[in-house]
Amino acid sequence: MLTTTAARGEPAGAFALSGTHGLGWATMTTDQPRVDDIDAEAVAEADATVDVATESPADRAARFEREAMPLLDQMYSAALRTTRNPTDAEDLVQETYAKAFAAFHQYRPGTNLRAWMYRILTNSYINSYRKKQRQPLESDAAEVEDYQLARAASHTSRGLRSAEAEALDHLPDSDVTRALASIGEDFRMAVYLADVEGFSYKEIAEIMDTPIGTVMSRLHRGRKQLRDLLTDYAVDRGIVRAEEGS
Amino acid sequence: MAEDLPEKADCAGVLLRLFEFVDNETGPVDRERIREHLDECGSCLAEYDRELLLKALVRRACVRQAAPEGLRAQILTRITSTSVTVVRRREG
Repeated sequence: MLTTTAARGEPAGAFALSGTHGLGWATMTTDQPRVDDIDAEAVAEADATVDVATESPADRAARFEREAMPLLDQMYSAALRTTRNPTDAEDLVQETYAKAFAAFHQYRPGTNLRAWMYRILTNSYINSYRKKQRQPLESDAAEVEDYQLARAASHTSRGLRSAEAEALDHLPDSDVTRALASIGEDFRMAVYLADVEGFSYKEIAEIMDTPIGTVMSRLHRGRKQLRDLLTDYAVDRGIVRAEEGS
Repeated sequence: MAEDLPEKADCAGVLLRLFEFVDNETGPVDRERIREHLDECGSCLAEYDRELLLKALVRRACVRQAAPEGLRAQILTRITSTSVTVVRRREG
């Protein structure tokens, strides 16, 4: 078992105790995992099964660093889209990591750390930054109602013809991020979590602490607003004629 | 006009769930029904394409940004000092 890991002369490491990863290595040729990868996998498995109750503070800090720090770029990117400026994004990420670290004993090892971190980021943003902006919050009831009306009308609603859809494909990315920055923040976050991070509706509901129906409403309305904005931009850029855009 | 199409009833049902379909959140029965409908209905297929395109555009535009160099160090410093504080409290 461990003889295979040690064969390259690298220390197997204190966590490389699981024998299950050793099976089948001999048959692998081109995609053979590097010793570092194997160690990392063993560490990850140990981190996923650690007993939080008996873990020392130092071990917990080390585990937090191993598990949460690789998410930093993701968290920063999300914070940047959420706050829409680099300074606030840095502050939000700092606050998120501080809170996550302080609450790390509550995180159940082996579950979805990414979703857990996003939830802290979202909560931190709502509590710290949203208040500053004094952006009026629409009620969920209004959202759902609007969503149902939109659904009922969607077949006759404005839409992009395929040529226009193609034109949108040629809009610069900055237009897309500008449109995303222009829509309501609940919509923006829902769309970001679904489309960029690939979270499921259930995960988004947990992250945003709302019912799934609200998530769906936000996605639906957010995407509709995005589409309308992008169509406007395409018209402004002369890619699409105005009468086709609406 | 779309209203006059014979598949109108089907379209309404499909459009109702199209964004779920695009997000891969539709149950197996509905998924199959929607797939069959899209094979037959050009207008719904076009709508599906727009939804897919929008999703792809957002994903493409929001490429992951590297966090500023100092941020990682700042966070790690904070974590380290916090855990030291915890240890000291326990000792004291």
